[in-house]
Amino acid sequence: MKKFWLVCKHEYLRHVLRKRFIMALLSVPLTMAVIIGVGVLAAFVSMDFRPIGFVDQSGLFSNPQPLPRTSRGWFPIVAQSQFASEESARQALADKEIQGIFIIAPDYWETGKVTLVAETLLDSSIYRDFEEFLILNFLASKPETIRERLASGAEIVVRSTGTERQLDSSNFFTFLVPISSGLLFMLAINTSGGYLLQAVVEEKENRTMEIVLTSVSTNQLMIGKIIGNLSVGLSQLGIWLLATIVGVIFAIRAFPEFSNFRLDPTFLWVLLVTFLPAFVMVSALMAMVGATTTESREAQQISALFTIPIGVPFWFMGVIMTNPNGPLAIGFSLFPLTAPVTLPLRAILTNLPFWQIGLSVALLTLFAAGALWLASRAFQLGLLRYGKKLSLRELFQKA
Amino acid sequence: MSTITVNQISKRFGKQLAVDNASFEVTPGEIFGLLGPNGAGKTTTLRIILDIFKPDSGEVSVLGGKMTEGKKDRIGYLPEERGLYQDLPLDHCLTYLATLKGLSAHTAANRIEIMLKRFDLYEHRKKKVKELSKGMQQKAQLIITLVHDPELVIIDEPFSGLDPVNTQMVKDMLREESQRGKTIVMCTHQMHQVEELSDRLVLINKGKVVLYGRLAEIRRRYSGQDVIVHPLNELPKDLPGIIRIEPENSAFRLHLQQGVLPKDLLSHLVNRGVELERFEVRIPSLDEIFIQIVTSEGLIE
Repeated sequence: MKKFWLVCKHEYLRHVLRKRFIMALLSVPLTMAVIIGVGVLAAFVSMDFRPIGFVDQSGLFSNPQPLPRTSRGWFPIVAQSQFASEESARQALADKEIQGIFIIAPDYWETGKVTLVAETLLDSSIYRDFEEFLILNFLASKPETIRERLASGAEIVVRSTGTERQLDSSNFFTFLVPISSGLLFMLAINTSGGYLLQAVVEEKENRTMEIVLTSVSTNQLMIGKIIGNLSVGLSQLGIWLLATIVGVIFAIRAFPEFSNFRLDPTFLWVLLVTFLPAFVMVSALMAMVGATTTESREAQQISALFTIPIGVPFWFMGVIMTNPNGPLAIGFSLFPLTAPVTLPLRAILTNLPFWQIGLSVALLTLFAAGALWLASRAFQLGLLRYGKKLSLRELFQKA
Repeated sequence: MSTITVNQISKRFGKQLAVDNASFEVTPGEIFGLLGPNGAGKTTTLRIILDIFKPDSGEVSVLGGKMTEGKKDRIGYLPEERGLYQDLPLDHCLTYLATLKGLSAHTAANRIEIMLKRFDLYEHRKKKVKELSKGMQQKAQLIITLVHDPELVIIDEPFSGLDPVNTQMVKDMLREESQRGKTIVMCTHQMHQVEELSDRLVLINKGKVVLYGRLAEIRRRYSGQDVIVHPLNELPKDLPGIIRIEPENSAFRLHLQQGVLPKDLLSHLVNRGVELERFEVRIPSLDEIFIQIVTSEGLIE
């Protein structure tokens, strides 16, 4: 048992301490930070924070009150400044003191007509804020709670039938999270699987394997390698997911438009129950390929048979999203190599029947166990074969 | 009690019979030679002894019984196909492999430091293995074999690729380990090296044991068939019991028929009035014995 941990620790540390791993690990948080940073910076640079002027020709807003808040997320809101006449407002606009003028028509009560005079198109938030400003001042005599409710409007939540799951179809993050978690899973499994493949083939190629095998059993070696490299992938995935969560929190704070983002709990537990056996399954398959082949290039080519199908659901993303309960989506959810990406995505899009989740996880677990058995056979039979690969027949024949 | 008992083991890979009903014993404290030409089945036999391969039939007893995980820590093994983790610093690589042999990280580090100094590798300990010369890497592999102070040392082709200085160093090391009571199994196709070091040996060809026993006894058994004669006068050509006579420098090599003793030849020579400067019963080398055996048994294809 102790030796299995030694192998596990060795495999884990030899990868996580490598510069290229640290670079790969930091790439996602750094990319996230750069995207958010550039987004915030671009918004700051492009935004005009000068006040917006308005002229009330209707006489409905004799003593207007400003909006109760002064900022939206990290950005200050543009203040409304009243002018007595259109001429004085136009003079201020010409002097660049304000960025535009809303002219409230004399027959506003009947027509709702408001004219905007500006040199360029203004930021959309200015229109929303001015509408809110009008509503709040119209309702000046009403209690504050009513004013705020009416000004904020309704938050429409789409709820799938027969379930408590809810979905805001207008929210960008609702779809971004399952897609990006699928992509991160692919990246992480490719990384840890690649490391595992490399570790097994390297030990065969550099002939260290025979020394190691006189110290530990093939099963200790295999389990140690799988768990060690699996931990590398899980650490990577964990840190990337953490970075994504932090990024989403920052994005929500910076841009309150995203604040109605909800993460469905079903998605989270489906993610967990599919990713773990999928990680074990792919790692074991990689270990098997490493033990049966003779050189790293050949091993990488064969391993593509397992890694490419994992990404296949992305090619059919449109079909899955438009028909999440269709035969293709269900088929992908049940096939062990496509399930890790498809099932969590469908958990966001539809009400997943429990039997589908159960069957998918059962098949994944069964395949993971089978892959471990095959890897164990391959380790016993193929580790010390230099220059001659193990045939499928030898792998499956009776021990 | 034997350190290793190999009892009628056989191992087949596909259609190829790598080991064919082989049996031998290795006794405590000896330097035992496991000999044979390339592809004879030596390495497969070693891997069966080390429990890396399972025999198709037969049994192996190591250190008093079947191989266990605990026993692996009492064995030092230097395989023919040698390798180290090329991208790791030398001390890191040695420490990992030493801990796999049951040493604590602290003990491993202490012993490795001593051995690195002994093998003149201490100043290179922080270098990556791939930055070391081939000779340095071979010394590092010897350190891995011996760092855990094993009772049984098994080395496969120990002199392969070594220069004369390092060959001598390995021989000295093996003698030293033997003097310390360690049992050493030396597997090689370089038979002259075994003649220098081994007490007993087994010779394998095509998976079969063709020769087994004490080196001195084997040599005695196969000596006496060749005699070197340096006559001062003419050597008669019609001597009885002689297969052929070959000139060898200023002397003659006489090949005796089976059953003819050197003393009989000497009597004939004296009776025929041959004056002798030298009469030498030639002791055959292991190479010659091996060729003699496989030729007579039709084992060479």
